[in-house]
Amino acid sequence: MVAFEVPEVDYTRYTNRQLAAVPLAVLAIALLIIAGWYVATGVPVNPGLEFTGGAELRVAVDAPDGQAREQIQAAFDPAPESIRGVPSDNTYILTFQTEEVGVSALEEQARAAGFEVESSYTVSPSFGSRTQLLALGGVAFAFLGMSALVFLMFRTFVPSIAVVVSAFSDIVIPVALMNVLGIELTLGTVAALLMIIGYSVDSDILLNNHILRRSGGFYESTYRAMRTGVTMTLTSLAAMIVMTIVATLFGIQLLAAIGTVLVFGLTTDLLNTYMLNLSLLRWYKYEGVGN
Amino acid sequence: MGTIRENWRIILLIIVLVGSLFALFSPTMAEEGSDAADLASSGTTNLQYGLQLSGGTRIRAPLVGVTADGVEFGGDQAPAIEQAVAGELDGVTVADVIVRPTSQTGGTVEVTVDGVSPQDLGNALDASGYTYEETREGVTEQTRAQAVDILSNKINEAGLSGGTVQQIQTPTGENYILIEVPDENRQEVVDLVNQRGSVRVDAYYPTDDGYDQVTVLEQDDFQSIGNAQQGGEGQLPNVPVVVRESVAPEFQQEMVRTGVAGQGGSRCSYTSNPNGTDACLLLIVDGQVVNSFGMSPGLASGMRSGEWAQDPRFILQTQNFSGARQVAINLRAGALPAPLDIGPDGEGTSSFVSPSQGQQFRTDSLLTGIIAVFAVAGVVFVRYGEIEVALPMVVTALSEVVILLGFAAGIGYPLDLSVIAGFIAVIGTGVDDLIIIADEVMAEGDVNSRRVFQSRFKKAFWVIGAAAATTIIAMSPLAVLSLGDLQGFAIFTILGVVVGVLLTRPAYGDILRALLTRDT
Repeated sequence: MVAFEVPEVDYTRYTNRQLAAVPLAVLAIALLIIAGWYVATGVPVNPGLEFTGGAELRVAVDAPDGQAREQIQAAFDPAPESIRGVPSDNTYILTFQTEEVGVSALEEQARAAGFEVESSYTVSPSFGSRTQLLALGGVAFAFLGMSALVFLMFRTFVPSIAVVVSAFSDIVIPVALMNVLGIELTLGTVAALLMIIGYSVDSDILLNNHILRRSGGFYESTYRAMRTGVTMTLTSLAAMIVMTIVATLFGIQLLAAIGTVLVFGLTTDLLNTYMLNLSLLRWYKYEGVGN
Repeated sequence: MGTIRENWRIILLIIVLVGSLFALFSPTMAEEGSDAADLASSGTTNLQYGLQLSGGTRIRAPLVGVTADGVEFGGDQAPAIEQAVAGELDGVTVADVIVRPTSQTGGTVEVTVDGVSPQDLGNALDASGYTYEETREGVTEQTRAQAVDILSNKINEAGLSGGTVQQIQTPTGENYILIEVPDENRQEVVDLVNQRGSVRVDAYYPTDDGYDQVTVLEQDDFQSIGNAQQGGEGQLPNVPVVVRESVAPEFQQEMVRTGVAGQGGSRCSYTSNPNGTDACLLLIVDGQVVNSFGMSPGLASGMRSGEWAQDPRFILQTQNFSGARQVAINLRAGALPAPLDIGPDGEGTSSFVSPSQGQQFRTDSLLTGIIAVFAVAGVVFVRYGEIEVALPMVVTALSEVVILLGFAAGIGYPLDLSVIAGFIAVIGTGVDDLIIIADEVMAEGDVNSRRVFQSRFKKAFWVIGAAAATTIIAMSPLAVLSLGDLQGFAIFTILGVVVGVLLTRPAYGDILRALLTRDT
């Protein structure tokens, strides 16, 4: 069996500024996208059905390729806001963001057109906005709780803030990517953002721990932490990529949403941990404490 | 002896695993569990599946209503207050006002109809001369409890087996009623729970100037309610009932007075000719006339002679059999004190998954999980290249999932997609931690003494503990907040982390030690 090795990066070739510049630039672009989105649409990221209210139907349509969408468009009044086909079976996921027509009426329209209703889901706008508030509060709480815990564990400012900034960036960049790629904020993506907090901190803590609390030179410790940390992230990444693909094929939206956002988050985490966090730590180790 | 003491973590893990497998597969456990958890369980395991994975309908909605607390009754009785308050509000009948005494002199007043704001209720109380402490959205605890009872009754009466009704409260203080019914069509459930289900019978009869209408039978006036009958032989579908002995004479008298029990009975043509019909009985459900009927000559003569009250049997006719069933269900379950706020502009949410879709999701999500595990295993094998390190890693991570599944089966927690996502997250964090252990232990050459192993293992555990703590913190809001679908995800991720840190990850350390320090 061929074992792959995490390549050793020669960090001495880059200055701290150079190292930090890349992730910080990406973070800045991400923040710009989110700010622009906020200015343009009034929300930092498009909320999905669960937060805006509306109805979602999953219908099985027995029609030849290409005609199904037309049939769906014709069958409903009001027409669905979005139609998404599920590759593994002949079903379509339709969303409606209307308050006038209840889901019962939509189900009837579907049956009248000869579609089979596989599932339906409806959320009222007021319930949705309350859920949104709870969800955002949850993310904020999780982030603050994590930050407090990190400060408690390391008890020094620079290494702690390095972890917190990396985690912040790990959340912000996927959110910006969601905007760019048109992925809506749903309960699944909120769950994924929370998981990013959990996952991304792992590799940061590992790196800090190796550099601050172990004997051995900076670069040696870094390489050891990287070997473990990169393996961890790659394993999770592999699992999430596969889960995203499979869940999308099967039309399991919750798992697909979690998977997609985690793939973004984990990739971002590689960047942030081994460039941003690392440069801050190196500055701290060589200049910050005066050795 | 020595080996047992050294490997107690592995032994403990095996014991817990066996326990979990027992909870998962033992038929004895299934029998116990089947009473408590009503959701569909699959054939071979004791796992319970939630609506997403078994099909069914879930409705979550608050009750409609506003409440005034601390109302001083000033010696008035409840009916008088109800009448006064209803009189002050447009479109509110006495049946929509509930007065509940909480002390000698006062209590709460609720109005359970859409479109009345707390402000309106306050004004109505002011106008009727009652003082109150405050008015608010929502209904009282008693009303909610009553609604839960009646909704459960309705679901049972309708023969929707395995349905559950419960109250849930969000951390922000909103109260919701959560109704879950496996397998049934969503519309059926909505129709059933959407009805207030107040049933009454009015007499509609000609007087000197036009027609008059008076309520002659109400929900509580029935001694017993029979099963809905198909009818046939010239008879409409109907519900046989027995009127209470205490009200039977009065009812009989009213029938004779209004002319429903006229000479030779009465022929009702209320629907076709409401201004020229004989006296009629109107069957009214939630304020809507669902049927009108007259009285047969035989029954009429029994009433006129006064014999009927000795054996006060009666039938409530309906237009069709499903109508008869609804009337029977409503009469038996009782009327909801407040309607559920569902519908296009309501506050609630509802979801429906067809059983076939649920079944499909079950297999698909299982497949997704298995494929994700293979992906993890693949990376781990390629990375370490040593089967001795990688295989126990994958096995250990999987054992965490087995333990969690056993736990879910043991307590009857219904598995949903979010729980499956939690399992996948657990495998992810689990393997991460095992990688940390493996790398740490195997760092810098061979592990040839137990002491070296122990010190390295301890170092690794600091990171694992720290990572676990952050994951638990990150997930705890979701576990507590009732964001519905994600609670299971958070609970099982946290449980997985706890099981991992306390049980499986230390055991993996022991396994690794046994494999790596074999010579010493």
